[in-house]
Amino acid sequence: MNPTLPVTAYPLRLAAPLAGFMVLFFVAPMLMLLWVSGYADPGMTQWGSLASWAKMFDAFGLGVLADTLWLGVQVTLLSLVLGYALAWTYLRLPPRLQPLVIFIVMLPLLTSVVVRTFAWIVILGRQGIVNAALLDLGWIDEPLKLLYTRSGLVVALANVQLPLMVLPLITALQRIDPNLADASASLGAGAWRTFLRVTVPLSLPGVVAGCLLTFAAAITAFISQSLIGGGQMLFMPMYLYQQASSLSNYPFAAAIGLTFLVAVLVCVSAFNALGRLSRGYAAA
Amino acid sequence: MNQRRRLLQSSLALGALHLFPQLSMAQAKRLVFATFTGSWEEAHRAVLVPAFRKANGNAEITLDPMLSVDQIAKVTAARNNPPIDVMLHDPGPALTAIGQDLVEPFPAAQSQHFKDLLPEAQEVTGPAIFFQVVGLTYNPEKIKTPPTSWRDLWKPEFKGRVGITTLNSTLGTGWLVEVAKMFGGSESNVEPGFKAINDLKPNLAAVASNPGALAALFQQGQIDISPGNFNAIQILKARGVPVEFVSPKEGAIAFKTTIHIVKNTPNKALAAALIEAAMSPEVQTQLMQSPYLIVPTNSKVKMEGEIAKVLAKDQAEMKQRFVFQDWKKINEQRASWIERFNREVRV
Repeated sequence: MNPTLPVTAYPLRLAAPLAGFMVLFFVAPMLMLLWVSGYADPGMTQWGSLASWAKMFDAFGLGVLADTLWLGVQVTLLSLVLGYALAWTYLRLPPRLQPLVIFIVMLPLLTSVVVRTFAWIVILGRQGIVNAALLDLGWIDEPLKLLYTRSGLVVALANVQLPLMVLPLITALQRIDPNLADASASLGAGAWRTFLRVTVPLSLPGVVAGCLLTFAAAITAFISQSLIGGGQMLFMPMYLYQQASSLSNYPFAAAIGLTFLVAVLVCVSAFNALGRLSRGYAAA
Repeated sequence: MNQRRRLLQSSLALGALHLFPQLSMAQAKRLVFATFTGSWEEAHRAVLVPAFRKANGNAEITLDPMLSVDQIAKVTAARNNPPIDVMLHDPGPALTAIGQDLVEPFPAAQSQHFKDLLPEAQEVTGPAIFFQVVGLTYNPEKIKTPPTSWRDLWKPEFKGRVGITTLNSTLGTGWLVEVAKMFGGSESNVEPGFKAINDLKPNLAAVASNPGALAALFQQGQIDISPGNFNAIQILKARGVPVEFVSPKEGAIAFKTTIHIVKNTPNKALAAALIEAAMSPEVQTQLMQSPYLIVPTNSKVKMEGEIAKVLAKDQAEMKQRFVFQDWKKINEQRASWIERFNREVRV
């Protein structure tokens, strides 16, 4: 070992097993998908066509993609509002109660996503908790249609993904020195001003991390999207499933899958760039 | 050193066998039957497997339940050494499998039971061993007069109470074709069906993305009436959900579920023997009883119980009340229908 090398410079060889693993089980299948997407027909006999890609990028396909990403944005924003309030409250609780809140936040992660989704069917259904309560209060005469609506789906997804938002937020808020808020107050700033000018900027790395996780989880949540959104909403995961599973149209399904993957990667990189910026901001 | 290496090798091999049980199965040439998941697997494990083993000197058999599309994908991936010997398919996937040359014809001439099957079930590419029947499902606690026709779904009194499914499933596609026929269309012209679904929109409480989701919706009172699969309804009923099944007067839609020998299987004789057992009146009679209630295709089976009561009391009535669809024609256009459904039924 050369003693002049810094201690963090481990030989790249150590990463080779993982790299090999990723190439074999991730990169190679992706390349195969790319190859499959080049076939002209579902029976995969004629290779060398952009038909699947043209179909993916027609107005309808792009509409589905845009709608899926928009769903992700809606869920992320709702989770952020709810999650920030929750994380804020958590830090101000007596230490005795904190583990209990963490447990409640983590609870959804400990149950299967199918169970959580079915719970939302029970909550939003015609005879569900929401409708029953509104009917009993006499606010409505007929049960509202909540299940299989966009807003129902957004609320349910926000609940299912909330832990992914709250945990990074709590970590970020915990790291903020409480003296900073006191300093801000002593310099004459009000509670809101302190929050907006001190707390929010310093918690940005947590916000970005939480948004990234929530967004990625929300747009790919096939089970929740299909069970709560229903057959009248079409998002990329269901579009892909439909073409592969019901129609055995693998070339088109491959094009959908790769497009979705690239779209998600672009969003994730954008978030990451934001995250780097915000870390610089927080450190400054 | 040498001994240690050998120990290491053999323990690695043992570990691999544990990780990949198929390795040892491939060597033993055990017959692998890919049935459907859920209640179908239970029924086949309880009735078909013992009957097959008894008739074939205790031959080894493995059930590997999976969806039709997975069966096709697995066999396509290893055409020369297929991991499955016998496949089970709904009409749409069956035609796909035959079209992709994955299926060995059934040796019908040597078969004892093939000729006793109803004419609709006698397919040499793979005989139908049971029918899946689709009719109207309703909640008797909410709907006092039982519906009698597919047309009842359009009644104004069912505003916001009807459930249907997308065309992703055999049920959804078959139902669309039946609706089209009712309004003057056919397997090659579903235009009237799409128009009718458009008119149905005010009544729709749910467009489920798969038939299984409909079950939960009945349970939650989200829907009170929908097209439904006879067997799925029986499972719900057995769990105490208030649902009833009726055959509409236009006829219940019957899907042939066919069983196929996989091309290039090393177990051809055993595969044919399994199909023989599945066609036999003894097995089909037992599968018709509660709790399985699987609709028989062998004309020698005497109809009894719930099936005789709700569906048809004998084979003559079955012919009269079951509607078989031309899936060859349906498959030709199904992709474009799904696309159209995606666009038109979206909210």
